[in-house]
Amino acid sequence: MKAAFGKDKWQYLLYTISHPVDGFYWIRHQDRGSVPLAVLLVICFSLCFSVNRISASFIVNDVEPATVDSLQELSGVLLLYGLLCVGNWSITCLMNGSGRMKDIAIAIGYGCAPMIPALLLATLFSQFITVEEGAFYYLIIGLGVAYAVVVMLLGIRQVHDYTMGKTLITLFLTFVAILFILFVSLLLIDLIGQVYNFFRSIYTELVFRM
Amino acid sequence: MKFLKKLSALFLALVLLVTGLPVLALADDVPYDTYNYDYWENIVRIPAPYVPDGAISGVSLNCGAFASPQDICVAPNGDLYVADTGHNRIVVVDGTGRRVERIIDSFENDGEQDTFNAPTGVCVSENEQLYVADRENQRIVVLELDGTLDRIVRDPQSDVLPAGFVFKPLKVSVDYADRIYCIAQNMFQGILVFETDGQFSGFFGTINVSLSLWEKFWKKIATKEERQNQTLYIATEFTGMDIDESGFVYATNIDEAGKQGVRRLNPRGEDVIKKGRNEDVGGDLWTSGSGAYAGPSQITDVVYRGEGIFSLLDRKRGRIFTYDHEGNLLYIFGGLGTQEGTFTTPVAVEQWNGELLVLDATRAEIYRFAPTEYGSLINQAVALRYDGDEALAVPLWERVLELDENNELACSGIGKAYLSAGDNKTAMKYLKLGMNRDYYSVAFKRYRSEILRDHLGQALTIAGVALVVILAAAQVRKRTRNKKAAKKGGEQG
Repeated sequence: MKAAFGKDKWQYLLYTISHPVDGFYWIRHQDRGSVPLAVLLVICFSLCFSVNRISASFIVNDVEPATVDSLQELSGVLLLYGLLCVGNWSITCLMNGSGRMKDIAIAIGYGCAPMIPALLLATLFSQFITVEEGAFYYLIIGLGVAYAVVVMLLGIRQVHDYTMGKTLITLFLTFVAILFILFVSLLLIDLIGQVYNFFRSIYTELVFRM
Repeated sequence: MKFLKKLSALFLALVLLVTGLPVLALADDVPYDTYNYDYWENIVRIPAPYVPDGAISGVSLNCGAFASPQDICVAPNGDLYVADTGHNRIVVVDGTGRRVERIIDSFENDGEQDTFNAPTGVCVSENEQLYVADRENQRIVVLELDGTLDRIVRDPQSDVLPAGFVFKPLKVSVDYADRIYCIAQNMFQGILVFETDGQFSGFFGTINVSLSLWEKFWKKIATKEERQNQTLYIATEFTGMDIDESGFVYATNIDEAGKQGVRRLNPRGEDVIKKGRNEDVGGDLWTSGSGAYAGPSQITDVVYRGEGIFSLLDRKRGRIFTYDHEGNLLYIFGGLGTQEGTFTTPVAVEQWNGELLVLDATRAEIYRFAPTEYGSLINQAVALRYDGDEALAVPLWERVLELDENNELACSGIGKAYLSAGDNKTAMKYLKLGMNRDYYSVAFKRYRSEILRDHLGQALTIAGVALVVILAAAQVRKRTRNKKAAKKGGEQG
C-alpha cells in the first residue's frame, strides 16, 4: 500500500501532468503510475465537484442546495469512471491498443487531477466576485476542464500508442460500448428480477396451498 | 416504578402534543389550495390570499336563475353587467351586489323591438357605452347605458377575411378611443379590430404557430396524401381579454405547452409581456401526471387589476394565478369542486370593489373572493413598487414576512430597502433569501469595497512588514552561509 501512495508516485503524478506525453510513456513501460492513486484522484474530483456545487457563491451558483448529495454524486462519478475504463479497454483490445486495464485507469484518473485545484480555486474565488466578474470564475473552471481533457486525451493516446485520429475514433466507440454495456446490464437486471419473481410466486403459491 | 410512571406520562403528553399540533396548524379554512412557486419552482404553501365571500346568482337577485352565463364586466360606476347567455339578456347588478339595477333584454332598432340571441360577451367602455357580443345574431350591439341603441357592428368586410366567413363574436373589449377588440368563433388569425365608426380595420396579436424541428422533419418527408390526413397545425384561439389604462390589451389563449397563457399586446399588436424569472406566464409549472386533472393550465380569462397586477383564470384546475408587471407569480388560489368558493366551469374573472369575482357557467353563479390581510398586503406592496415607492413598501413586506416567512418577493423588497439605506450586509442577507441575484451582486460589491476601504491600510502594512522581514532574513542567511563557506574554505586552504 505504501508503494501505491509512495512519495515517488506523487512526484511522478506531478511530472505526468506537466509532461503528459513522456509521463504516460513511462507509466506504460515502467509502471511508474499507481491505480489506487488514480482512483483517489477520481474520488477527490467528485468531492470537489460537490463542494463547488454546494458552496460556490450565490452570485455564480444556481444549484438548489437540497439537491446536492455528495455520496450520490460520488457513486455516479465512480460508475462513469468504471464504465469509461471498461468500455475503452474492450474497444482498444480489439483495435490493437497496447494499453492494459491499469494504464487506462491511470490515464483517466490522472486526467481528473487538474480539475481538483480548478474547482477548489474557483469556489474560493467566487466568494470575492460580483456578477460582472463572474466571467473569471467560469474561465478558471474552463481552463481546468480543458487541461483535464488534454491530459486525458494524451494519456489514452500514449498508453495505447495510437495516433490522435485513432484515439478520437476509439473514444467515440468507447461511448457506444458504454451504451451497449448499460443496455445489456439493464436487460440482465430485468431478467434477474423476472426470475426472482417467478420463484417467489411459486413459493407464495406453495405457502397458500399448504 | 415511579420512574416508569413518570416516563409514560411524559410520553403520553408528547403524543398528545404531536397529534394535537396539525389541528392547530389548519386554521386557514378555505376549500382550495393556496400556494406559490419558489425560485427553484418548488411548490410552497402560503396563507390564503383571498377567501370565499358569498355568491351572486339570479336566485339571490330575484330575477330568475341565470342560464349558462358567459361573461361579466364591471362598469366605471361600479355596476356589474352579467351576460346571461341562455336567457338572451344582460342583467345589471348594482354596487352592493344584492339588487338588480335593470335587465336589458330588448332594445329599439329602427322603430322595431330587437332582441339578443346568445349574448356571450359584454363590456362597458370608459365613455359609458355598453358593448354586447351578440353571437347568434352575428353582430356587436352598442347601447347607451339606459338601453337605447347607439349603433350595430356587423359583417366585417376585408380581403384578409376568408371567403364565407361567418362572424360570430364571443368576447368584446373596448379601449379609451372606442376601438372595438373582438374575439370571434373559429377565427385563428387573431383579434378582430373595429375602428370607432364600426369599420373592420384588421387583425391584432396573431399567435404564430411554432413547429418543432421534429415536426418540420416529418412534414418534409410525408407524402401529399399523408399530409392531408394529418391534423392541421393551426394557432390557438384567444379566450378572453382585458385592457389596461394605457390601452394595452391583455389577451389569453390556451397554450398546449403551458408556457404562455396570456399576451400583453401593444397598439401595434406585438406581445410585450414580461415573463418573470421562470420565463412562464402560463399558470401552473407542475402539470405532469395522468387523467383529466393533469396537463397544462387552460387560461380562459384575464383581469387587469391596476398597478401592473393581473390575474389569470384556469378552467382546467379552477385556479386563479396573479402576476405582477414583471411576470412574477404573487399567489395562486382556487380549485374545482362543489363547495362554495370552488368552481365547476369557471369562464370569466373580474375585479369589483377590491374583490375578485369568478363567473361559473354551469352553476350559473358569480363567486366573490375577499382579500385577506396577506393578500391585500401583497397587492399594496407590489403597487407601491410599481409606482417607485419601494421604501414605503418595507413595513408591508415586513408584515408579509411575519405571515409567510418564505416569501421571496418580501425578502427581496426589504433587501432593496436596506441596500438604498446603505446597510449592505443586511441587504445581502435579505436579497439572498429573496433569490435576487442582481441586487445581491450590487450589495456585495458595495460591501466588498467597504471592507477594502476599512482594512486596506492594515493589510498593506502587514504585507509590507512581512516583506521586509523576509528580505532581511534571506540576507542574514546568505551572509552566514558566505561566512561559513569562507571559514570552510580557509580551513581547507
